[in-house]
Amino acid sequence: MSKTTLRYVIMCCLLLLVQVVVLNRLVLFNTAIPLAFIYIITVLPVSFSTNRSVALGFFTGLIVDVFMDTYGLNALCCTVLAFVRKPVLHMYVLRDDAPASQPLDMHSLGTPVFLKYTLTMTLIYCAMMFTVEAFSFFDIRRLLLRTVASTIYTFIVICAVSGLYNPRREKRL
Amino acid sequence: MREVLQFFIRNSKWFVFAIFLVLSCILLFTFNPYQQHVYLTSAGRMQGAVYGVASNVTSYFNLRHNNEDLNRRNVTLQQEVLSLREQLRAMRERYADSATVMPQAHSFDFITGHVINNSVMRPYNYVTVNKGSADGVAPEMGVIDQNGVVGIVNVVSEHYSRIISLLNPHFRLSCKIKGDESFGSLVWDGKDPRYAVLEELPRHTVYHKGDTIVTSGYSAVFPAGLPVGIVAGSNGSGNDNFFSLRVFLLSDFTKLNNVQIVRSNNALELEKLEEENLKTEGQGTAEEVLGN
Repeated sequence: MSKTTLRYVIMCCLLLLVQVVVLNRLVLFNTAIPLAFIYIITVLPVSFSTNRSVALGFFTGLIVDVFMDTYGLNALCCTVLAFVRKPVLHMYVLRDDAPASQPLDMHSLGTPVFLKYTLTMTLIYCAMMFTVEAFSFFDIRRLLLRTVASTIYTFIVICAVSGLYNPRREKRL
Repeated sequence: MREVLQFFIRNSKWFVFAIFLVLSCILLFTFNPYQQHVYLTSAGRMQGAVYGVASNVTSYFNLRHNNEDLNRRNVTLQQEVLSLREQLRAMRERYADSATVMPQAHSFDFITGHVINNSVMRPYNYVTVNKGSADGVAPEMGVIDQNGVVGIVNVVSEHYSRIISLLNPHFRLSCKIKGDESFGSLVWDGKDPRYAVLEELPRHTVYHKGDTIVTSGYSAVFPAGLPVGIVAGSNGSGNDNFFSLRVFLLSDFTKLNNVQIVRSNNALELEKLEEENLKTEGQGTAEEVLGN
């Protein structure tokens, strides 16, 4: 196992643990929840095949589901998120310009593209999750509020995580 | 043949995606929370262990608040004991010969547990508690805290159990207004974790803002007369014969800490009786059919 892979696996475990133990409890005003664990999926390099990232997404979501008692909700959303990862990235970066084997973080993408890419992915995830969750009692205003608030909250936390994950490389920029 | 195979390989990502999508949809649309496997809920051994470690830290956070609640509850219980003792003495004096007060067997036991995971913002909320089948907890037991009703036990592993919170529309609780015999069913509307709705109250029920809502005791899950909430106002009428009330819940679900799991000693007996009842009813109809 290469050093990058090992680093990635450790980051996954830590991020899942932090999500389950800390972030799930940091709900703001009963509307916004930080779902920073989707960074596990968004950071995967372009060379990582869609098949594998979909599988990884499903199991990541399932682990979070098991802890949050949401039973399939995050698994579904993570699967879809892993599937739309590359198309979303190519909205902002040309196919040839995208870094092939590096993780998609601030360093490899450059800050503006990284921010746009992360914000889009977060929005997709939050919108999907709260819509699926709200099937039984549909209240459009509450749904929108939750989606927007959680997207912003998650986005900020992911930026922080990304900064923490690569502090040394950031300085070199 | 080879072309078919190649087609599959070329489009493999769509197939993999579809497989995982269907798999997660199956999980997601298993609506009944009682069918969920224990390892896929927060009551699983590993999940419980992780939450247990975390709650060692977080359980200190609301201690002052909990202490105040417990003190308040203690005072009301003490007053109740004193007044009951007084009544008992008066009864004894009045009917000294004709009636002896027999000590009754307890019909309910309590198992105290500690909340290790809890949510209030989702449409279907659950609470995880660090007591399981090894401590005598079984599914369908009621759960209360010092202020009021919390929920009902749903999935049990050896050392942990998951509770369907009152803040979960899967759980309906039969309640009545204290001092009035008409009853309705309390259910959460998915909006504010401080309020729930008492539905299906008969039109003629008299209520006042601030009245206490208590459990009806019509099932063996909760003893009768446990406080649940306070009437906060009318919630508009559902139809001509029934109306609903907005109820302020006495338990603060955002600060749950210690809970008591209610074990009914009569539950088995009651269940057996109901089962026999069903059986005899079934036989009755069978005989009727034969007779005809």
